[in-house]
Amino acid sequence: MKTPRISSETLLVLERFVERPTGWRYGYELSRETGLKSGTLYPILMRLEKHALLEARWLATEDGVPPRHTYRLTPNGLEFARVRLAEPRPDCLLQQPTLSRGLG
Amino acid sequence: MLVTHLRRLATVLLESAIRIAPADTRDWGRAMRGELNHVEGHWAATAWALGGASVLAKRALAALLIPSRHGQGLPPGPGLFAKDVSVRNAVLITGGGCILGALLFFAAPPFRQALRVAISPWTRAFLNASDDQPRLVALARRAEQRRDAEGLAFCAVRLRNAGAGARLAQEAVGLDPNLLWVYAVVAVRHPGLREISEWIPLLERWDPQNALFPLITAESVDISHVDREDFNTQGGEKDPEWRSAMTAAFQSPKFDDYLDRVEELDRSVVPRYGFYDPEDVLFEEEDSLPTYTASGSRQFASSLIQSGEDLEAKGDRKGARDKYWAVAHFGQMIDSQGHTSVEHGAGTSLQAMAYKRLQALSRKEGSPSEAALFSYLTAKFDEPSQARGQLGGWIFGWDICKRNASVLLVAGLMMLIFSGLLVVTASILIAGSRRGAGPAAQTAKPAATLVAMISAVGLLLSSSALYLTYRPYWYIFQGAILNGDRTQARDLRAFLNSTQMLLRFHLVLSPDEQFRFWGGLTSLGIIGLILILLRHFRSRARTNGLQHSSRVP
Repeated sequence: MKTPRISSETLLVLERFVERPTGWRYGYELSRETGLKSGTLYPILMRLEKHALLEARWLATEDGVPPRHTYRLTPNGLEFARVRLAEPRPDCLLQQPTLSRGLG
Repeated sequence: MLVTHLRRLATVLLESAIRIAPADTRDWGRAMRGELNHVEGHWAATAWALGGASVLAKRALAALLIPSRHGQGLPPGPGLFAKDVSVRNAVLITGGGCILGALLFFAAPPFRQALRVAISPWTRAFLNASDDQPRLVALARRAEQRRDAEGLAFCAVRLRNAGAGARLAQEAVGLDPNLLWVYAVVAVRHPGLREISEWIPLLERWDPQNALFPLITAESVDISHVDREDFNTQGGEKDPEWRSAMTAAFQSPKFDDYLDRVEELDRSVVPRYGFYDPEDVLFEEEDSLPTYTASGSRQFASSLIQSGEDLEAKGDRKGARDKYWAVAHFGQMIDSQGHTSVEHGAGTSLQAMAYKRLQALSRKEGSPSEAALFSYLTAKFDEPSQARGQLGGWIFGWDICKRNASVLLVAGLMMLIFSGLLVVTASILIAGSRRGAGPAAQTAKPAATLVAMISAVGLLLSSSALYLTYRPYWYIFQGAILNGDRTQARDLRAFLNSTQMLLRFHLVLSPDEQFRFWGGLTSLGIIGLILILLRHFRSRARTNGLQHSSRVP
């Protein structure tokens, strides 16, 4: 069976979540860590949430400041991320030794 | 300060996008808006807000184009993380629809003709081929192969190359002696041709009363002085051959420039060869201005007026009157029997000159009623009246023709640019979709999709602009060719003239300089584009490198 294709950007996001599996993450925090812009990051978060791999909640902030959306992987999402991150990356990426070690 | 305003503007844009976003996406919009307060730096915040707004706008567009898909769950399985299906489909449908719409325009003959007219000036500017008439030369070859006298005559009267025009004219007359008049039209266009001395006796035997042939002879005499650099006798005053030719012209009872025969020829040849090219069919007709009407005739008329005044001074009023009437008669003949605006202009000017003298003479002779009549005629044919007459007859007017020509040129150029971008982006997308595609091809795909989408919409819009702008002129051209109705051809000529003038800087740059200017400008544009792309891909590669290295434990 053909393996579903996941973009490198999605893998980057999953990687950040897996680093702290139970922690809630902010969108801007993820953007800074992955280097992804809001226009790329949020569609990924939306798709992950749509497939119940990610849960989201609103976090109230001080008065007058809009609440913040925070995210973390669901148990299914965590398992999915671990499986996907363990898979070999495309050939072009594996050519870099440091990268292949990091993926290993 | 500026960046603060930009941040505010981007925030307003994001909030507006939240309002138009589909219901199930609004929370995500609010999430992006919430984070915006924590983004450090105005530029970063502006980029964040713009990125969020673009995501929401795409969702809104997808919901608008494919409402049934919106809100439904995405199919499970392989497509899970590949792409957002609804957005991709919206892009595909919109882009494909635009390209299809643009292609459908090609089925319309006005559009094909418009595209040729729009591209022609750019081709001439870039290929430095301002004097080439490749389509007409090809038509001449076809006519030669078919031994088609009318086809050859059609090309002979239009070719800018004097030698080729003369050769084709002789071939045409050889095949069909009834086309002898073609010699006269070619001679008017190229008065320096050596063949004219052989043609004139033939033409004078065929149409002995026509003033055109002595005028052509006078013009040739004038040109021969210029060729010999004999400026003492240039202008004809001292040349008996020139004076004799002009005298014959002024005494001729008729004037025929044979342009009605050219029009008849057009109606026969254009549909036969499918040669619907207004630039070669109509444009050249006014381009071949018979210079004798503007300078030679006026010069000879002035000498007649002068000799009339001398006779008046000597008391020979009848002799003077005859001289003035000779000028008035010639002016009437050129004005009423000529076909071009230059001929009409020259004719009215000569009449005004003659009637003014006749008015003064009648007053001297004590004939007030005759003087009043000549006064009326002078006012009718004077230069301001003539200018007013030339302003009439427009459908759209000169300014609108110029504006339409600009729109047509820009639309044609934009069509070419958008088509080129579509080809490039399609290649990138195909390369990015293949298995084992490199990271550069993968990262270029979103940008390529966006550019392809914009290009497809742009292609449709520029095609529509091209079609709508040119459509009235196509009807004018069809009317002129199929029905012989040239009353509106002036607009078409002005329009075609404008398309050529806009790019060629006639008064400033020579053809070589124009070529260097446009060539240099294009090269700079291409180099700039390559530098931008290189910079973009290098920065993307650097970003990717940083991201990958950050994964190393």
